[in-house]
Amino acid sequence: MKKVKIYEGLHHEWIMFGRDVEKPEKIIDTNQYLIKTSREGILLDPGGIELFSSMLAAIVHFMPVDQITHLFASHQDPDIISSLGLWDKTISHATLHAPWLWEGFLRHYGCDSITYAAIPDEGSIFKMDGIELHFIPAHYMHSSGNFSVYDPVAKILFSGDIGAGLNKVDDPMFVEDFYAHIPSIKKFHQRWMPSERAKFAWIERVRRLDIDMLCPQHGSIYKGENVTRFLDWLESIEVGIGLRID
Amino acid sequence: MELNDESRTTFFIRAVGVSARLSAVLKEAKNISLEAMNAKALVARAGESVRTFKPITDYMVELSYDTIKLVEEINTEALNISKSSLTAMRGSYAVSQYKKAKENSKEALYGDSFDKPMFNAQKDLDEFQKNLSRHTQRLHELLQEIETRMLAANVVTSTSRLEAATVSSVYQANFEAIVGKFEVAAKNIRATVMECRKILKLRRY
Repeated sequence: MKKVKIYEGLHHEWIMFGRDVEKPEKIIDTNQYLIKTSREGILLDPGGIELFSSMLAAIVHFMPVDQITHLFASHQDPDIISSLGLWDKTISHATLHAPWLWEGFLRHYGCDSITYAAIPDEGSIFKMDGIELHFIPAHYMHSSGNFSVYDPVAKILFSGDIGAGLNKVDDPMFVEDFYAHIPSIKKFHQRWMPSERAKFAWIERVRRLDIDMLCPQHGSIYKGENVTRFLDWLESIEVGIGLRID
Repeated sequence: MELNDESRTTFFIRAVGVSARLSAVLKEAKNISLEAMNAKALVARAGESVRTFKPITDYMVELSYDTIKLVEEINTEALNISKSSLTAMRGSYAVSQYKKAKENSKEALYGDSFDKPMFNAQKDLDEFQKNLSRHTQRLHELLQEIETRMLAANVVTSTSRLEAATVSSVYQANFEAIVGKFEVAAKNIRATVMECRKILKLRRY
């Protein structure tokens, strides 16, 4: 599994994990993110159960695993958080921040010790060891209970499935040519995102943010101008119900 | 001896299979109970001439009652086994994941930071396996107990036949019919229990 430090600030760092060549062939490649301070860490969309050992092995290059005090799940899908039962055994002191809507469902993955902190529909602000993260509503993008995470200092937006595609393990870490990248994300957005209204609401919400990097849970990261290009493109395409996908 | 994942999975399914088959045993035990009640009524009606049949009918009632109780206990144990084997399977998966992570993080600065959860997972797994072993042993004993009782029922059947031959001809056919049904029910129970034991192919470990 590749480990890339995508941000290094005064008080915290962002590390992206992905492109796991050891993962079983038929499961989709995923990006996991660790935000760490000198004392604590939060894992964003920690990944599926199949990736647990690779993730654990990768994380301990950066911090002791018991310093991971928080987990975040953007929504309920298995590639996002089916590893929860194993994290529950590993960091039983941690808190899982996830949509309130999915609590009863996510607990099926195994959540005996970890504390479930339900994020309300309107989102919330979370503080950890001096840093602040905003849980931004992204409902129906694609899940009916869904959040993005914004870091105002690093100017990074973790967008979950928004901006993602059914990418391969050898895809580049960053989008190099946005227009060449479109074919790998177009059908994904048209099919997975169910609502035009939800799409516009999310775009409007994130356009107000100052974003340097938009980090999806699959595929390549959008940086600089490519963030605006992606938002413009997403606004321009029709998604969801009623759309015929060839 | 530890069970590997595959045999543990199979074992979990087998325990459920035993539980499913026990409904047949329960049905036969209820048949015995019914026949025992019929026999009791008959003994009461026939009076002094069939008094030797009374202990036999009492035994039939006791046997059916005990069998129903044993089946309930077996069902509980089978459920415990299913739960324990599933927990052990999950525990075994966790241990294997930690071992894999350990192998892949040899060079990592904080590679030893998950030693404690890894140790705990192994400890839990050992405990789950002990539980599984205990429940399995108990299931084995319960099945054996039913089988032993059904062997005893064979003896009672023979005695009952002899007694039935001596009662008044008015009641003889009725008693013989009751004994016949008792014999069939006991034989069916024994066959099902033997099948259950065969399915389990119980291991001692």
